[in-house]
Amino acid sequence: MTTQQQPPVLSIEGIIKDYPGVRAVNDVSFSVESSTVHCLIGENGAGKSTLIKMITGALLPSQGNMKINGAPYAPTSTQNARENGVATLFQELHVVDELSVLENLTLGMEQSRFGFLIKSDLEERVIQTLASIEPSINPAARVSSLSVAQKQIIEIARAASSGASVIIMDEPTASLSEREVERLFTVIRKLRSQGVTVIYISHKLDEIIALGDTVTVLRDGKHIVTKPLSEVSGRPELIDMMIGRCVFESYTPRNNLSEEVILSAKGLSNNMLKNVSFEIKKGEIVGFYGLVGAGKTEIARALFGADEVAGSIVFKGEKVGGSPKEAIAAGIALVPEERRTQGLFTNLTIRENIPVMNLRRMSNNGIFRADAELSAATHYIDQLRIATSSIEKHTEKLSGGNQQKVVLAKCLFSKASLLLLDEPTRGVDVGAKTEIYDIIRNLADEGNSVAVFSSELEEVLGICDRIFLLYTGSLESEIINGPDVDINDILNIVTGGNRGVTA
Amino acid sequence: MNVPIKTNTALSENRRLSDQMYITLLVASVAIGLFLIASVFVPNFFQLQNMLNLVTNNWAVISLGVGVTFLLVSGNFDLSVGGIVALSGVLSVWFAQSIGSSNALSSGLGLPYWVALLGALAGAIAIGGLNALFVVKFRIPSIIVTLGTMMVARGIAQVITQGSQRNTNLPDEFGVLGSLKVFGTSMQLPVVFMGLLLLAAIFIERKMVFGRITYWVGANPVAARLSGIDNAKHITYLYLFSAAIAGVVGILLSSEYQSGYSNRGLLMEFDALVIALLGGIAIAGGFGSVIGMFFGAIILAVVTSAATGLTLSPDWQYILKALAVFLAIVAQTWALARRNK
Repeated sequence: MTTQQQPPVLSIEGIIKDYPGVRAVNDVSFSVESSTVHCLIGENGAGKSTLIKMITGALLPSQGNMKINGAPYAPTSTQNARENGVATLFQELHVVDELSVLENLTLGMEQSRFGFLIKSDLEERVIQTLASIEPSINPAARVSSLSVAQKQIIEIARAASSGASVIIMDEPTASLSEREVERLFTVIRKLRSQGVTVIYISHKLDEIIALGDTVTVLRDGKHIVTKPLSEVSGRPELIDMMIGRCVFESYTPRNNLSEEVILSAKGLSNNMLKNVSFEIKKGEIVGFYGLVGAGKTEIARALFGADEVAGSIVFKGEKVGGSPKEAIAAGIALVPEERRTQGLFTNLTIRENIPVMNLRRMSNNGIFRADAELSAATHYIDQLRIATSSIEKHTEKLSGGNQQKVVLAKCLFSKASLLLLDEPTRGVDVGAKTEIYDIIRNLADEGNSVAVFSSELEEVLGICDRIFLLYTGSLESEIINGPDVDINDILNIVTGGNRGVTA
Repeated sequence: MNVPIKTNTALSENRRLSDQMYITLLVASVAIGLFLIASVFVPNFFQLQNMLNLVTNNWAVISLGVGVTFLLVSGNFDLSVGGIVALSGVLSVWFAQSIGSSNALSSGLGLPYWVALLGALAGAIAIGGLNALFVVKFRIPSIIVTLGTMMVARGIAQVITQGSQRNTNLPDEFGVLGSLKVFGTSMQLPVVFMGLLLLAAIFIERKMVFGRITYWVGANPVAARLSGIDNAKHITYLYLFSAAIAGVVGILLSSEYQSGYSNRGLLMEFDALVIALLGGIAIAGGFGSVIGMFFGAIILAVVTSAATGLTLSPDWQYILKALAVFLAIVAQTWALARRNK
């Protein structure tokens, strides 16, 4: 492909994005050729989503330029990006179940006069686009009757018929079955033959190899390489490029590990988990590592009794898993995945948030002990170094790291001997991250057990003594952390390399 | 604060008025301000007796407001309380009426007086149980459930009274509770009931774990569950308590009037809701206080009684209530947004 006559459809030139304390995207430049499938890969935290948000206008770059077909492009909103021909397919679907396929396709593009809808050639055009992509979908059908994959195709058709020349797909196969993935690929290839460019983001390397024309690798916010996939030798090379020689937080083996099993789970199964069994020992930090959708959150919630699960969970010789109340009483606490919606009472103060998991300690015959609450709050603000001007500050006004520390304080206050931490450092700045790791190590040194559920390899390799690797709901492998851990092997397993699905 | 604050923490010295206190003070000053303004314009308004009347005349609605406030703070509605007032009143009369009169409306079950009262209370609590069942177990929005049970309760009252009222063949002691003067003063038992209820509610809300759980459940039910709180049990208790309060109010009213009337307490559920909203209770849950609700009731009482004093026809009272509610809610939203900017 020669670039002399035709400028690249999208070129990124020296893009930088700074957050307080973090440079999320650091001087990234590459270009995307027209009518190709351009894959974007990198670990969690490599800067993929920040970059995508800037391309789609959801974030403004701190520095740098972008061009579309050679013309300057600086989107100020997703709407603005769409007007410039850049459409995005997000992980969550944005279709209206109650409307028909056709109504969904024309949503937001309706022609009206004096507030009344008028007929236009729009519908014709949309129907044709849909037919060319996926003729099996009836435009008159209700969207609620379609499968997830079909809904996704509706979104793609909507993007294509709005005249988008670049469609960005962020993990589009996360909730699709294998057959549906195949169909999506057919649709993507069809789009490409019609002159549409697809920027495809996925963790599943086999998909990248099967579908992509070009691949761009990001690591730690930096651009590593952009090259045609025909020049890539296979999975190992991609993995090498993704992890590079990046230095992990060094794990120092902890010596006071006990052999006493504190929790044993047998045959956990539900709609996500497939016969998962494992044991957690006293005083150890175990990691559960896997990609989005691997079943990490499901295991954490099952152990905590928040979701129903088949199988047995025995903690300190007693059966648990019935309800969060029961789990807390037995000595298990959970820091949930979404701290704002699941962990915190955001309209209440730090002081009011902390005592909730241990009411027995907080009360005397039903009378609330305000003095105990006050001293607990001051104690944890000190101990966890929660940066706040007052214990009376509403938790919604704290930074992500400090919010997470408040959730941790809640759990610590419950005096749990097993802490389940679901993505404990997501959306937390580097400084607070290190502090949270220190807190976790201290807890374990005191004889508590900690389970870290994370999609950041650096995190589990940095702090965990033992790591369970998950892939699509099953526990694939268990490794003991140490200096000679094979990172390539881990990445191979969690991206499905163990399953004999090779390119 | 009755708690000794440790001296080593700059954190606690920096404590400012909580939003809760701020809104409560705001509501209280509006109530007092309105009273003073009304005193200027309405003849004979500024009198001790009138001040007392503002409270005592509204004992029923304020009592119902206690249950409604707790439920609103927990994120749930209770529109059934007005219906329960009618139901428990009618039941207490029907149970106590003696047997064997030729007139259907004069013939009751002839139960001993105290059994009749307990039976009426049980009937009220049963409606609360129904509320809890549908809200907690079947997860139906509380506004719909309690709208339904409001009609169920009033409907049963209507059937028992055949759309009219029952007021004959009652034992002598029936009228005592509702008009009993306490401590030799002019203070009637129902007003004392309201006073004790308010004190108990404020204590539970401010000082007891039960009160704190109510805020947690309302502020974020998901986080509350994941923090080990049994939301279902708590909301069930709240509905049972609210219904029990309404039951007592119904019994006291039927005793005061010595009759069971199916239209008694009509629209009281809305008045209870209105005073709670006027008192700064957030409809989304997790915010508000019983004291605020009390001052909300005073605001409403001042507005309506001043209007009557100004010889405005009582027909205007709904318009006035509506204006007061809109103004109060806009003012509170604005004040909180400004403060937390």
